[in-house]
Amino acid sequence: MDILFGSIVSGVLIGMVLALVALGLTIIFGVMDIVNFAHGEFLMIGMYTGLLTAQATGMDPLFCLPVAAAVGFVLGVLCYGGFVKYLLRGPMIAQLLGTFGLMLVLRNLALLFFGSEDRALHHGLLVGKSFDIGMGIILSATKLATAVLSILSFGAVWLLMNRTKIGKALTATALNRQGARYMGIPTERMNMLAWGIGGATVTIAGALIVNFWSVTPYVGLIFTMIAFTVVALGGFGSVPGAFFAGLVVGLIMEIPGFWDFFQLSFAIDWMADVPMISFKYTWIYVAYFVIMLISPRGLFGWKQ
Amino acid sequence: MKSFSKSAKRLGLVLIAVLALPSVLFAAEEIKIGVLFPLTGGAASAGRELRAGAELAADIANNVMPDLNMTMAKNAGIKSLGGAKITLIFKDHEGNPTLGADLAKKLILDDKVHGLMGAYHSAVTKAVSGVAEQYGVPLINDSSTSPDLTRQGYKWFWRATPHDNYFTKDLFEFLKGMTEGKVKGLAAVPKKDITNLAAACEKTEWGSAVAELIEKFAKEYGFELKKSILYGAKATDLSGEVRSLTAVKPDAMLFASYGSDSILMMKTLKDQKAQTRVLWGQNAGFEVPEFVNTLGDTTIGVLTRTVFIPKVGQVKPVAAKVNAMYKAKTGNDLSGASARAFTGLQAWVHVLEKAGSLKPEDIQKAANAIEIAGEELVVPWQGIKFATTGEDIGQNILGSGLIGQYQKRADGKIDLEIVYPFNLATANMIYPFPKF
Repeated sequence: MDILFGSIVSGVLIGMVLALVALGLTIIFGVMDIVNFAHGEFLMIGMYTGLLTAQATGMDPLFCLPVAAAVGFVLGVLCYGGFVKYLLRGPMIAQLLGTFGLMLVLRNLALLFFGSEDRALHHGLLVGKSFDIGMGIILSATKLATAVLSILSFGAVWLLMNRTKIGKALTATALNRQGARYMGIPTERMNMLAWGIGGATVTIAGALIVNFWSVTPYVGLIFTMIAFTVVALGGFGSVPGAFFAGLVVGLIMEIPGFWDFFQLSFAIDWMADVPMISFKYTWIYVAYFVIMLISPRGLFGWKQ
Repeated sequence: MKSFSKSAKRLGLVLIAVLALPSVLFAAEEIKIGVLFPLTGGAASAGRELRAGAELAADIANNVMPDLNMTMAKNAGIKSLGGAKITLIFKDHEGNPTLGADLAKKLILDDKVHGLMGAYHSAVTKAVSGVAEQYGVPLINDSSTSPDLTRQGYKWFWRATPHDNYFTKDLFEFLKGMTEGKVKGLAAVPKKDITNLAAACEKTEWGSAVAELIEKFAKEYGFELKKSILYGAKATDLSGEVRSLTAVKPDAMLFASYGSDSILMMKTLKDQKAQTRVLWGQNAGFEVPEFVNTLGDTTIGVLTRTVFIPKVGQVKPVAAKVNAMYKAKTGNDLSGASARAFTGLQAWVHVLEKAGSLKPEDIQKAANAIEIAGEELVVPWQGIKFATTGEDIGQNILGSGLIGQYQKRADGKIDLEIVYPFNLATANMIYPFPKF
């Protein structure tokens, strides 16, 4: 039974972080209809920013989030202003290949500057601390803090999108760009802002994740895949969709834990021979495929 | 007068030519050995150790060091090759087999190396050994332990280190010894207390081979392997894996991890407050200096198999001397990785000395006939002699392993103490493994 509760709690906690990872992707898509393949690389840069800032300043990694957010915002704005803006003039395929190219450039720049070695945080206020609250649930302090900060970030973005003029302008641009322009909304600036916010949310997620995951220049790929699954499940462009889908994907990642629970509870020998944990990410890909097959619009539908 | 000066000039030229002749004829050739190690990537810390070990051996071989009681320290360069010096050409394969094979080709075709050494990761060594076999270039392996490597029937591959069949058997002999009261400072442990095992091995050539061996020996020695999982050494999160291991409440946890993954594994075990009585690592990531430097007190009680522990110096003066030289060079003690890189290059030196030629066929013949005495080596082996028949062609049949345990010294420093072989034990074993 222990492993069941442990896996559920772990899935929910990591799900909240995955939701934040996917948030930027869904905002950018919502506003501009452009799929950012370099999303995972933004996250990787967020991870390095959190890690290096903490190491250079001796600050606790959790307090480095504003730096990561600033770096992500500037990166997003620069990518839009210096690159993506021009891609929009081309066909859809140019946008896809363009952001794919951006992904390769960012990854290789990271290789150039940071090398291919794994880096991880070994010290920090919460690093390495955990609480056993019984029933097999061991709460990792870093994951708990990350989940809470993730909810706060989500709340902030939700408020920005729904309760401020800028958010309304962004939504208007997302719903009808031409109409928004006729109403005097600077859509070009809104696009840039969407990239900035998208970049900031994902780099915040990166700076949170580096508290318990190690970082290499290649780490972005798996997160891009996860973010795509979350966004596909939640519905492209939907902020609440991203949150709930993040939780679902977090639980999907714990399928091997549920498998172990059944195997141990019912003493099913053949289940022990299936190397489920070796394929823990496979279920995310399977989920992505199934969602596309059954409900291409996701849980909350595409933006209307 | 004119003709005299002309003749004098001619004579002078002839004299110069004659005087220069011997140095041209007998000029010491440079011996180029291509060395492939993971100098960046997850196992970079091991790569740095390996490189420093090989460099130190080359340094000793290329210079006379009368204080050191080793044959290769007696001459400057390879005596049978007119004092030719060894040059090591290092290449970084990043733990990538395809890159390793490409670099091996580059070393053979562009750098025209006379031989190869490396490549630590068994999967890379397998790829590189294929290239060496194709081009007929000798490859002496220092530190890859997948048993399959010497079972390919290759004629240009020799391995100095014992492989995982030896090491994993050592582990089970050790566990058996625990139940028989053979471990220093430990009364016989009831077998039921350590019977349930759980293993997590990285999933390339090496880790998968270790996982199979653990399964095989667990059956043979009457232990129960409750859970065995394979994971990616480049994994950035191992929480699911650790939950899966702890779910079976193992008495002993066994690991085969490369570099950063061993640290991540330990951190995750600590994070999830995993409990076990015995925690054992199959060398590699469990014995690089970063392991202790990063994890500190968390490592106390961890067992690791290895081939070298600085305490060996207490019984082998030559090991103590080389260890001191290594420490002066790097700031660290010799580890299993660096000691084997050192020994691998030492094997190369002896093979070249015996061959007296740089023709691949002569080197091949010498490697097959070589016999290096145990007293020459820093590692506590009986020596080096490569098998030329049987199942393990090219395997050193005189090697052996150690099991060490991290313990805290009186001065607060964490050191590896020998706990196996039982007759070499340097400290009482810490049992059970302390709670995280």
